[in-house]
Amino acid sequence: MKLVRLLVGVLVAGAVAAAGRTRGGVVQDRFDHWQHRAVFPTCVGCHTGAADPSLALWPAPRICQQCHDGTVERTVEWTAPDQPRATNLRFTHPKHAELIAKAAGVDSVLPCRSCHIAPGTDPMQVRLAVVSNCFTCHGIRASHFDAPDTACATCHLPLVQAVRLSRSAIRDFPAPASHREAGFTGALHGKLARAARPVAASCATCHAQDFCAQCHVNAPEVPAIQALAPDPRSLAIHAELEPPSSHADPAFLRQHGGQVRKSAATCASCHTQESCLTCHVGSPASVQAIRAAAPGRGKGAQVKRRRPESHGLDFSKTHAALASARPQTCAACHARPACLECHRPSAADAPPGYHPAGFLTTHPAAAYSRESSCSECHSQTQFCTNCHVSAGLISPGRLRGSGFHDAKQAFILNHGQAARQNLESCVACHAERDCLTCHSSAGGRRFNPHGPGFDPGTLRRKNSQACTVCHGALIPSSPGQ
Amino acid sequence: MRWGQGISILLGACLPGLTATSAQAQGYRLRLESQAQRAAFRGVTQDSILATDAIPAPSGGLQTADGFAVRCPPGNSFCFFFRPGPDLRGAPVVTSADLTLWGLGVRGLSIHVNGRAGFDVGDGVVWPGTEPNGQLIEGYAEYAHRLFTARGGRQLLASRLGIIGFDGGKATFRPGRYGLEAEAYLGLGLARATAIPLTSPALNPLDEFQPRRRQVLAGAAIGWSTRLTEIRLDYQREVDRESRHFASERTAISLDLHPLPRWSLAAGAEYDLANTWFGNADATLRYTAPWITVLGGVRQYRPHFDLWTIWGAFSPVPYHAVNSGVWLRPLRGVELRARWEHYVFSPTETETPLVSVEDRGHRLGVGISYSPIPTLSLDGGYREEEGPGAASHGFEATISFQPASELSLVAYGSTLDRPLEFRFQDVSVDALGFEAEWRPIERLRISVGAAHYAETRDRPDAAAFDWNQTRLTARVTLILRSQTDNAPLPPALPPLPRAGVR
Repeated sequence: MKLVRLLVGVLVAGAVAAAGRTRGGVVQDRFDHWQHRAVFPTCVGCHTGAADPSLALWPAPRICQQCHDGTVERTVEWTAPDQPRATNLRFTHPKHAELIAKAAGVDSVLPCRSCHIAPGTDPMQVRLAVVSNCFTCHGIRASHFDAPDTACATCHLPLVQAVRLSRSAIRDFPAPASHREAGFTGALHGKLARAARPVAASCATCHAQDFCAQCHVNAPEVPAIQALAPDPRSLAIHAELEPPSSHADPAFLRQHGGQVRKSAATCASCHTQESCLTCHVGSPASVQAIRAAAPGRGKGAQVKRRRPESHGLDFSKTHAALASARPQTCAACHARPACLECHRPSAADAPPGYHPAGFLTTHPAAAYSRESSCSECHSQTQFCTNCHVSAGLISPGRLRGSGFHDAKQAFILNHGQAARQNLESCVACHAERDCLTCHSSAGGRRFNPHGPGFDPGTLRRKNSQACTVCHGALIPSSPGQ
Repeated sequence: MRWGQGISILLGACLPGLTATSAQAQGYRLRLESQAQRAAFRGVTQDSILATDAIPAPSGGLQTADGFAVRCPPGNSFCFFFRPGPDLRGAPVVTSADLTLWGLGVRGLSIHVNGRAGFDVGDGVVWPGTEPNGQLIEGYAEYAHRLFTARGGRQLLASRLGIIGFDGGKATFRPGRYGLEAEAYLGLGLARATAIPLTSPALNPLDEFQPRRRQVLAGAAIGWSTRLTEIRLDYQREVDRESRHFASERTAISLDLHPLPRWSLAAGAEYDLANTWFGNADATLRYTAPWITVLGGVRQYRPHFDLWTIWGAFSPVPYHAVNSGVWLRPLRGVELRARWEHYVFSPTETETPLVSVEDRGHRLGVGISYSPIPTLSLDGGYREEEGPGAASHGFEATISFQPASELSLVAYGSTLDRPLEFRFQDVSVDALGFEAEWRPIERLRISVGAAHYAETRDRPDAAAFDWNQTRLTARVTLILRSQTDNAPLPPALPPLPRAGVR
């Protein structure tokens, strides 16, 4: 007898100590059934409510006190829970028994071990319901979190109905495998949500409307989201917008306009009009297709204006081809004053800007070699010549061999190559009359200025007046004359 | 006194705008900007001495008694030379306004005005671009419909053939959903790169021949846009109203093709129908990935001259160039860039046995940008340009710092050398400057800047000199808008990098 009491004492002590621990990989309930296996040979001896809904599920504390009286065993403080465990399981013992009876006959009874004993373990290694057992009976051939999303609602209530779940419990929900699939944060999750109308029950197991609205600015317009009930506890699971992989494509900036026109609804999932207006000037029609930010909608994707990849390298000097191919593309982001900053520069604007600091001094190199056309932005006469006049850099009249070009001896007699190569630079300082001193058939030395590519016939047809400057009324029919 | 005038202009332009928020227009956006700078430059002054007063120079040749090299044309009793010119100090003050009005009772109707008032309040009008004092750059009414847009008034026309202004009408048609667009325009043209007519005295500083009446500008364009291609054809003519002759007649094609993901081809060419030659043309193939951009291209450059000048008859020859560039982003916050171009002029078919002139050149630039934190950016670069006429090379560095969202600070420095080919004058200039921009409210920007330039103009005679100057700049930008314009001012991104080889 003493041995029995010792054994019971050890068992009870062990049960308390082992609460919440595992034994041989099996999750134990707080009460160690294994330690008490010799004392309580049947389940319903304590859990009478499991078999008879009219009785309590939990044993009365006095049953424990028969041994734990402070003499036979030390006393224990335990009271039965006053309400069911906080869970989102649909399961109740009576309901489950009723369904089994309905399905298999009134005499059918599911033994406790069918759910509470893992396959291959001792009958008294009791634990909370073994999920794999549930799956076996319900024909779900997968592990718990690999089960198809459609299976969740078999056992679980929607989140909004699991009212006793705390925020921290919701926050710690494990994520199913599907949530880790590539593309889940993109189109996939929507596809899965719409697998059942109006929304897949599996989504509602862990989520509510508030959760979706964290990202979806179009939440009020999405039937699947509206099918979910609101529940602020769902915000315990934090969601953050991730840009889809398509947005990382360098071509995305250029092509996204077409995608918006094609399927604005897709963009409107994450973007408000404010996203567009971060970069776009005005409100193009495609922007109008996207809703403005408003209460009840998520804040949406926070767009940061960035320079397109094409703009990075020397773009200010090479943008002409792109800009002239389709000016509307530029106008999507740039207002006209931005173009005018360079193309109609203000006299009060100073480098650095398009030109580097010190450009006033170094500009002859750029002016001679013309990497870009100066006359796209600067009037030859208003800008260049006017300034050269002020600086004394003009020919004061008929050429007198003033010696300005003193690095080349006899430059005036051998300037032809330099002139044909850099005529724009010459005319920044020289007037037509300087050249006509020699290059005119009406006077001077009658040096022929016409060179490669000169087409007298066409030029004469287009503007014979230009010919008369040198030739007077006697315009020759060929340049050699 | 003149500075006072400038300040008056500045305030006069801005203060009415500050109180205009109660204006009753249905919708408007007004951008007011006043800029001022103080700058100086120094040129040359031609002088002469009697040929008999010229003395031999130590290095050969002749010079004045005080050491200026002179040139004595054969048979002329005078010798000529250039002294350093006086300091010319300009202080242009320019106020510009850009106004858009809509909601005028007709859906799709809007009015756009962009004008500028500028004065040089320095020592005389020495700085280019302030005359005439008032300039209307754009001023037009626009009616936009889904299928077409019509504009009337002064407007700028941007195309492959350049940006030119005119007073007239333009209609743009967008038939259906096939990406087609057609455009036609007609009006009286303005001079190139200005907002004033060809007939303005401001465009005739050398008192040359000038058309007496404005030219008629007319043209048409057609564009086609798909997901992979954008193409546009332009035709434009300018006709002298007095002589009925062409001032120019050109056509152009522009193409932007995206045949493969990450690959693009941008190309274009101009053809001068009057001179029967190709003007500017280029083609650039570009590969863009998140961490690298590579481009290579070819191009031709040939200047365009209006036919009311004689310059086109002098047969300016084009140069042909090959170029390439790479832009690397190996690490977050680090950008490396390099570009290069080599060009060769076409044969000029001239005989110049006594003078040898460069007929080819190159330009290159390398640079690096580093942003250790989003609010700090360091940029450095080297650029070099060698070719006919002049060359330049030097280093540049910029530090940009944004200590608060409403404040931006930029400091920069550079050292550049610029030798000339046709004149003895090697110049080096060192610059050190800063800019600060403050945005106390979303719609207001105030910036000031200062830069000190130390310049050395080296010559082997008395015309060599050192010259320093400090340039000051200030700018105030104010955006006013109606309640119906809810779009905020987009976050500031400088339209162009402040410095560096880009």
